[in-house]
Formats: sequence, C-alpha cells, structure tokens
Amino acid sequence: MGLKTLWNVAAPDHVLDVAWSADGTRLAVTPSTGKILVVDPEGQTLQELPGHGLSNGIGTWNQNTLVTCGANGTFRLHDLFGTLPLREIHLGKTWIERAKGSPDGTHLAVGAGKTLHIFDSLGEPSAAFSNHKSTVCDFAWNPRNPREISSVCDGGAHMWRLGESQSFGHFDWGGASLMVEWSPDGRWLVTGDQTPSVHVYDFTRQHPLHIQGYETKVKALSFNASSTRLATGGGPLVTVWDCTGEAGPEGSVPNQIQGHAKDSIALAYHPTDDLLASGGQDGLLILFKPETRTTAVGLEKLQSPVTCLAWHPTGTFLAAGTEDGKVHLLSYSSP
Amino acid sequence: MARCLQTETFMPASTRTPVTVLTGFLGSGKTTLLNHLLTAQHGKRIAVIENEYGEIGIDHDLVVNSDEEIFEMNNGCICCTVRGDLIRILGKLMKRKDAFDHILIETTGLADPGPVVQTFFMDEDMKEKLFVNAVVTLVDAKHFALHIDDSEEAKEQVAFADVVLLNKCDLVPENELTQLEKRIRSINALTQIYRTTRSVIDLDKVLDVGGFNLDRVLEMEPHFLEDEAHSHGNDHEHDHCDDDCTDPTHDHSHHDHHHDESITSIGIEADGDCDGRKLNAWISELLQTKGQDIFRMKGVFSVKGTKDRVIFQGVHMLLDAATGSAWADAPRKNRLVFIGRNLDRTELNAGFNACLL
Repeated sequence: MGLKTLWNVAAPDHVLDVAWSADGTRLAVTPSTGKILVVDPEGQTLQELPGHGLSNGIGTWNQNTLVTCGANGTFRLHDLFGTLPLREIHLGKTWIERAKGSPDGTHLAVGAGKTLHIFDSLGEPSAAFSNHKSTVCDFAWNPRNPREISSVCDGGAHMWRLGESQSFGHFDWGGASLMVEWSPDGRWLVTGDQTPSVHVYDFTRQHPLHIQGYETKVKALSFNASSTRLATGGGPLVTVWDCTGEAGPEGSVPNQIQGHAKDSIALAYHPTDDLLASGGQDGLLILFKPETRTTAVGLEKLQSPVTCLAWHPTGTFLAAGTEDGKVHLLSYSSP
Repeated sequence: MARCLQTETFMPASTRTPVTVLTGFLGSGKTTLLNHLLTAQHGKRIAVIENEYGEIGIDHDLVVNSDEEIFEMNNGCICCTVRGDLIRILGKLMKRKDAFDHILIETTGLADPGPVVQTFFMDEDMKEKLFVNAVVTLVDAKHFALHIDDSEEAKEQVAFADVVLLNKCDLVPENELTQLEKRIRSINALTQIYRTTRSVIDLDKVLDVGGFNLDRVLEMEPHFLEDEAHSHGNDHEHDHCDDDCTDPTHDHSHHDHHHDESITSIGIEADGDCDGRKLNAWISELLQTKGQDIFRMKGVFSVKGTKDRVIFQGVHMLLDAATGSAWADAPRKNRLVFIGRNLDRTELNAGFNACLL
C-alpha cells in the first residue's frame, strides 16, 4: 500500500527535471550540470547525452525526440527511437533555460533571452516572438490548441498564435511571472509570480483572477487530469483550489493540506486519478487524495530535498529527482 | 498592498555564499579589476555575472553575460524592485554541485545599485543562499570630479559602497586625490577608500570585506559619529602644519568648493540601553516614511534585556535584524549610521533619543 522505492540511479548533479517519453519506455533525467541520462523503467541507463556547459536547461520530449538545452546557447535534438542524426542548433551567446514540445509534436518552443523561438520538429525556425519586456521565464502550449502558446516574463503573460507575429492576448498585472501552466481542458491559464501570488485567467469568461495570501513564492503548479483542481506549492502547505464552479477558484476556500515540515517544491497530479504527489525540501514525498482525504495516502522519506516529479504515463510509477543528484523510481498501490 | 518593511533574522552568513557587487562608471576600471580577480591565485572559485554591455567581454568559463532586468512590482514601491536576471541565473548556479565560493556581479555605470542589493534582501531564495559581502565602487580619479555634480547615479554608487577604489591614482596629483577622498566621504562616511592604479588591489580588501561590520568601520573612522564628521576628511592635518608646509599629503586648499551634498551620511552614537519596542517602532516608521531617501542604514544597538548586540541593516524600506556578539564586559553603546538623500540630523537624533531608556 502507498509508495515503495524500486530503485535509484545517480546523476551527475542536482536533478533539475525528470520526464517520461510518451510510451513510458524512457525516462530523461536532466541534472544541473553534466550528462543528461536516459534511463529505462528498470533503472538501466540507456544513454548518456552531453551536457550544456555551465548549466543545463530543462529539456522536453517532442514525439520520439529528446530535446536538451542549456547555458551554452545550444539545443540538441536526439532521435532516440529512430535514425535521424543528432541536430544541434546554436542561438548565440544566451542561456536556453527550457524547451517544450507542442501537444501534437509538430513544433518546439525554446526560450532564449527576450525571445520565444518556435521551431518545427526537425529544428527548422518557424517563428520568433520577441515583444517581451524581460527574459522569457517560462512558457506553455495550450493543450487544446497546438498552435497557441503562452509565455511569461516581467509584465505578465503573453498569448501567441503560430502564423501571427503579434500576441493576441497580454495579461499585464504590473509585475513579473516566473512560471505558467494550462489546465488540460485549455480553460485556465495560471502563473506563479515573483510576489507570493498566482494569477489565474479564465478563458471561458475572459476573466483574470489574482490569488494572494501565500507565505512564500509559489514554486509548483499542477492541474488534475479533469481540470477541476489546481494544486499550488511553495510553503509547507499544499494549497488545492476547486475549479469546478462557474467562477472557478474565485471566492472559494482552498483545501490546504499539511504534511511537509519544509517547503513543497514539486507537485504532480496523477495522469488519471485524484492523486497528488508532493515533493518537499524536507525530502518527503507525499501522496494526497485532495478530494476525499485530508491525510496522506503514501509517504516516502528520501535522503535529500525533492526537486522534481513525473508520473509514468500509465500512472503506476512515480519518478522523483533530488538535490543530491539521484533519481528515484517509486511504485504506488491503492490502499 | 504588499508589506514593504521586513524585519527578519539573518541566516548565518557562514552558510551562504558571499556576493560582491561591482559598480562604477564606464572606464573606471571594472573590467580590469574583474580580470585581476579571475586570474589571481586566491584559491577561490568565483562566478561572474557580467552586464551585457560591459566594456570588454571577459573570456572565462565562469562568466555569465546578463541584461540588467529590473522586476518592478505592481505596488510601485522602489524597495520591491529586484533584479530578475540575478534571481534566474543565480538560482541556477546555486544548484550546481561544485558550488562557487564567491559571486561577483558587475553592473553598468548607469545602474542604480539599489535593486541589486535589494534582490538579496527581498527574494526568499536569494536570501537563503547568498548574502551581500560588499558593494565595491570604482571611481575614476581622473574624471570623477567632472560628472559627480551632474550624476545622481554616480552619487548613489558612492552612497551604496562598502568599499571605494579610487582608481587611476597615477594620473592625478596628491592634493586632488585628497579632495576626491573628502568628497567621497561627504557622501558616504562609512565607506573604506583605497587608492589604486590599474585596479590593482589586495584581493582580500574586495573579496573578504565580511559584509556588515560597523565596529570595524568605526575603528578606522573614530570621528565619523561626531556631528560634523562627514566633513572631517584630512582636515585635522592642518592642526599640525602651517602655511609654509610642503607636505603633499596635507590638504592645503583654502578655497575648497563647498558642495551642498543632497546625499550624505549621518551617524548617531549614544551610551546605555534602548527600549527594544520603541526602537523597533521608530525604525519601522522611519523606513516606511523616509525609506525612499534612505539608501542604507546600519546600526548596532544595546537593547535592554539582551546580552548580545542587536544589529540592524537596512536598504531603502527593507530591514534585516541579527544578533551579534555578546556585550560581555564591553561598555554598552548604540551606534547607527544613515546614508541617504536630504537626511535631517535633528529629527534623526530626536527619534533615536526617544528610544533610549
């Protein structure tokens, strides 16, 4: 019952990100520096891909291609399932902090400086969105429209559409946003901000909502599969907002879940169930069922602060990266 | 409305990585100093955040180019502005296993040092892992006098400085250097001034300043807290020479320009104990109402009921408090210093005196 560690693998450094390929046969492990690992579900390291200098960025799977990026201003397309040669694109003297593949796999977004670059799946330039006030901090594709992407920076969130050079929406709340997520149904766009707050945009009503009252900067956002719950982390409390009403979280009282002694850094909702994984600076990996229970349904203590989480596409395994440079695979069984 | 005033306990400096902020106008010698710092045998692993429009790019593995990006907050408060590029880049660098011993941040000549320093007070992640060891300002001795009267940026860079390197001293006669030092001290009486040529300096004087240490400053500048100390400079030397004196280290200019500095330093010293609650309330109100004009504030206080020194350090409206060493048998006294614009000594004295028991 609950969580059980199956194995762990050492990475070269603090693990920034873990990401499963769509078929669940590969887990990409991105450390802060050094080689990027590709591991199978048994814990065998299949590949060690070159790092990106002073710091790796957070890459992405785009169909069968693993995209890596980093401080050397370069991103690389590794076709791990096919025979395409390695493609390396250099964007100049800039840090590439992340890359994200579009939901249909046809495009790849790369943030570099004040520009959000869009490439096709083979790495050919497709568009460049550059009206950002500061460096692009994060971006996210609309899960329901693979031609739309949102980016955040100082000055809030911009909405871009492939084929149009100007943004078709700009939610400027007067401050800086550092992270952005869409709800799976494409209704909600949520940003985590430099101030201890989140901004939520309801596309059904074209209505912005500012949620304050956090004690710390919000460092993790995760929607459940049905887009009815939004979990936010940052402090020791995990705050879960109910998005089911017509006005969404507006006016509602969130479910605040205790369990961590230190900040909750990583959150990941299960791909199908009401099951929320939270990783904390205290090294605790906790599973909650926010809709039905206030107490944890799974708990595992790791030796180092948890930095990132990723559910296997089937929902049977949970991968967790930690500050001490390890990636852990855990299984979950229902109580 | 965000709450601006923050009074929190310092993280112990020993667990955090020191940050040196390097300011100074274009041509003052910042890049030369950076190269010196990166190539010298000091055994430290130093990362450099270099502004994108620097004089000459430095070719080094641990140099990161960055555009100076100010994150302004929607409450419009200047103390809430931080440097977004630093939060992003340093956030990533601090995740490296082979952590750095020291971080150097170079700013452009026109940058206001406020948001750089505030970043390490305001942002919770930065505050947890890093602390400002020193603001080091390079001053071009040859050209400083030409732009100081017209440049608020130059004054603010001097006002924020823990250390001023008066550079290119080989190009300026001794009496002018003395005048420059007086001028610098009239803006910031707390700063340590070192004369340099080609930015050559004992690296410990830049890298091992130790952050806030008022006692050290007072030890060096014992007259600072006297009422007219901000104009003491080398004036005392006149007590020991006459009109025929030919000692070039003495200031013999009897026709000094009087600079009506809007940015000045004011020091207060008083024996005895303070009422902790009154002190807190006074400083809180002062920084709330005058914080925009107070660039930096530093103080060591003797608070009734505490056996240790209480240390306050402020930047604009932000305030950090820490517990210092024990008083033990040392005479308990309070010392505080304000550096800022349009400071009112009478008002500050009255405010502080009301906190004394």
